[in-house]
Amino acid sequence: MGDATKRLLQRLIRRTRIQMLKTTLEKWDRLTLAQRQSMVFIQSKSAITEKLLSICEENEWTVKHIAELEMIHVMDNPNQGMWYAFRLMDPEDDAHSVELMQFKEQFKSLLHELVRHVSVKIKKHADEAIWIRIAWGDGFSQPNHLKPTYVVHYLQTPFVFVTSITSKQKPLLSQALTVSTRHQDLKNANLSGRKLTAIRDLLMQQYPQVFPTNFPGHTAENNQMESNPRRVKEQAGLEADRLRMAHKAFGDGMLPELESAVYELETKFNGHANGTMTDREQPFRCVVKFTSTNLLESLRQCASSGIVSTVTPLFSSIPRSGKNYFVITNKSHGSSSKTSNITEPQILDSKD
Amino acid sequence: MSLLQPFNKLPSLNTANILLVENEEQFQQSLADALVEESSVIVNVRLAKSLPVPTENETSRPRIDLVVFIINLTSELSFESAEASLKYLDCGYFLGKVCFLVTNARSVSVPAERLDAVRKLAALFHCPLLFVEDQTADGVASAAERLLTILKVAAGHVPITTSLYMSILAQCTVPPDIDQPSFD
Repeated sequence: MGDATKRLLQRLIRRTRIQMLKTTLEKWDRLTLAQRQSMVFIQSKSAITEKLLSICEENEWTVKHIAELEMIHVMDNPNQGMWYAFRLMDPEDDAHSVELMQFKEQFKSLLHELVRHVSVKIKKHADEAIWIRIAWGDGFSQPNHLKPTYVVHYLQTPFVFVTSITSKQKPLLSQALTVSTRHQDLKNANLSGRKLTAIRDLLMQQYPQVFPTNFPGHTAENNQMESNPRRVKEQAGLEADRLRMAHKAFGDGMLPELESAVYELETKFNGHANGTMTDREQPFRCVVKFTSTNLLESLRQCASSGIVSTVTPLFSSIPRSGKNYFVITNKSHGSSSKTSNITEPQILDSKD
Repeated sequence: MSLLQPFNKLPSLNTANILLVENEEQFQQSLADALVEESSVIVNVRLAKSLPVPTENETSRPRIDLVVFIINLTSELSFESAEASLKYLDCGYFLGKVCFLVTNARSVSVPAERLDAVRKLAALFHCPLLFVEDQTADGVASAAERLLTILKVAAGHVPITTSLYMSILAQCTVPPDIDQPSFD
């Protein structure tokens, strides 16, 4: 049994919890009945590792089998590692009729053409997503299964989510994806996070959306009627206004659990205290990062509890445009820039 | 700008009205539930985030017997909001009808200057200063009990005692060396 196989299996067992390992092995379904009964999951991890390694020898599993096991595990626990979202641009005419088998064959053959040694596995998840596991090698060495790239794509949509890819590998993946899905280009969607489910829901807008209406319902007033008449809120009107403003920006259902938002500022320094900084012509570079366990929910509560007086477009553009990386520059005026008026900051797409 | 007046309305029979002012609007909810359960007196609780109260409620609002400012010591905003709300009260309230309630005083992140500032504020207005615990049900119940004692006096339900008498006994005082650095 290969050294690579052993190492991959050991690393997989080390990184997963014992309960999770049990369910994953059951799903994988390559252990015989006798072997399954002989595995006792109450033991320590090292004992389980020994047992599994011996079963692996018995069944003569190769690195491909273990890669499949790892893929099943990652498909069930997608909320680990950093995921980056990409968007396919400029579809050709037949982009909407790309089928699964056609995509699979084309993608595999293209990638094998581009890279001499590469190992590709494609699986379809229950919710119509296509999961691709790529182990990269180069002209001289075998594919490295310890650093695989996972790609999730929803067929016939322009959304792609990728984890752990280097800058050298990205153009190869980009070319294979664009040709096999009949688009022209793969662009960065400026959205990244640790939870795949969250960034997928945000980008594909699969959470309760906000629809502008002229006649909003009176749910807040109804709640007030039911509560104790001896306990009265003095500023109920103001509170209802704040709640309405928060709901207008973020909706009133569950929000995807985004974890961070990064704003890169390239604006002129506008403070009054520091004269030397204000006189500089170059923009003041600064990065502001917001992190939270559930960023959108906390922003909504900031607005509804009155900590923030209005929801600025900086915050409301996160759910609206499905991004969490923004570059803010000053709007450039045609007239002279010697005047010290505060110019309006505007949000641009980031470079590339 | 309408000031809240202590004596411009008639009281109702066996009723006491209390106004809880808190910037975070958290503790006032559980405290209001505990206060309303009192059986010997009908307690009406009004909740506000800050003063001034909106003028639309002027007609429906009963005469407020006690105004309680709830300050969370871990937040500077809470203290500043309470301080800013004080100027919307008529001066008649400061004769025993205002009380300060402080939560989270035992927290490690509280700077000592803030506690001193709250004490000085309470002493300046001759108001009682109560320290309460808001996280457990027992804490909320005991806070409600203490507030009810002061409320009953302020609403005139206790014979031979007025809130002015109580304020002389219960007001917060600062020790003369409060501005000197302490030994810990």
